[in-house]
Amino acid sequence: MSQCETIQESIGRWLDGELQTADSEAVRRHVEGCPDCAAARQRLEKIHATLSGLLTAQASELEFAPFWREVRRRIDEKRSWHEQLIEWAQSLVTSPRLAWAVPAAIMLVLGFFSLAKWPVGGQVSNYASVESIDTHGRNVALLRDDKTKTTIIWLYQDPEGENENVEEATKSGPAF
Amino acid sequence: MWKKLRNPVLLFSLALVSAASWLHAADSAPHAVQVTVRSILAGSKSDEFDPKLKNLEQQLKPLKHRSYRALKDETQTIPWQGSKAFDIPGGRSLTIATQEFQNDRIGLKIRLTQGDKPLIDTTVKIANKGNIILGGPAHEGGSLILSISASTQ
Repeated sequence: MSQCETIQESIGRWLDGELQTADSEAVRRHVEGCPDCAAARQRLEKIHATLSGLLTAQASELEFAPFWREVRRRIDEKRSWHEQLIEWAQSLVTSPRLAWAVPAAIMLVLGFFSLAKWPVGGQVSNYASVESIDTHGRNVALLRDDKTKTTIIWLYQDPEGENENVEEATKSGPAF
Repeated sequence: MWKKLRNPVLLFSLALVSAASWLHAADSAPHAVQVTVRSILAGSKSDEFDPKLKNLEQQLKPLKHRSYRALKDETQTIPWQGSKAFDIPGGRSLTIATQEFQNDRIGLKIRLTQGDKPLIDTTVKIANKGNIILGGPAHEGGSLILSISASTQ
């Protein structure tokens, strides 16, 4: 790529003031001493002038008054109660200090449910607990061994003799 | 949206809600409960202690029998709110139904029958991965002891 091609590619940005000072100065010096690049500059300036003239002419025909009237109407419009409520709620959440009320409320609710769920100040027992028991007329004993946290349900032998070897079993039955 | 998420309050709230969801999930009802029933014969004619029962030795001590022999181990997975029957030596049957799960404790409804005759109906709550001992019925000259353990899945 020749130097003129490089310069002509930069002329547009130079005219728009987008080049660094050193580059801008190099382009200016080259354009002043190069008839081809000077012609390229003139073409670009002519296009710019034509476009600017067109845009200015179009803009002058635009009517901005209705736009501003609509903006004013919206500002003055009385909003409904639910819109005001939403805005008020949003302002609460977005307010930096009050915003912390949301996680604080969540923590309070979690704390409340945790207290309801877990025994306060105590451990969950490792013992098995017997909620109900029906031995259909037989005697029963419940034993809890503190050392091993064991719950034992001991069913005594049926006096009617339906269990086998009642004699031996009775001897060894309620051994604890 | 992402700019809003950078707000520490929102992030903290999201973290709290996530933690609450996780805690709730951890304590909600399990899909199933794995129940193991160990049938043990306890007697007083010898001093034999079955090495297979080593991990139950301390729990069996309060019963003060002289001998303990493992008869049978059976493990079944019981779906939540479902029930399964376990065959127990001596023509007995143990039906176990899962009932509730709260504070890492499993509620079980247990029924031991001999033939058609019910021997015991009981509802117990066992610590997750814990057990309860049910004993007494006569068997082969001694007493039958059942260790019922349960763990959530």
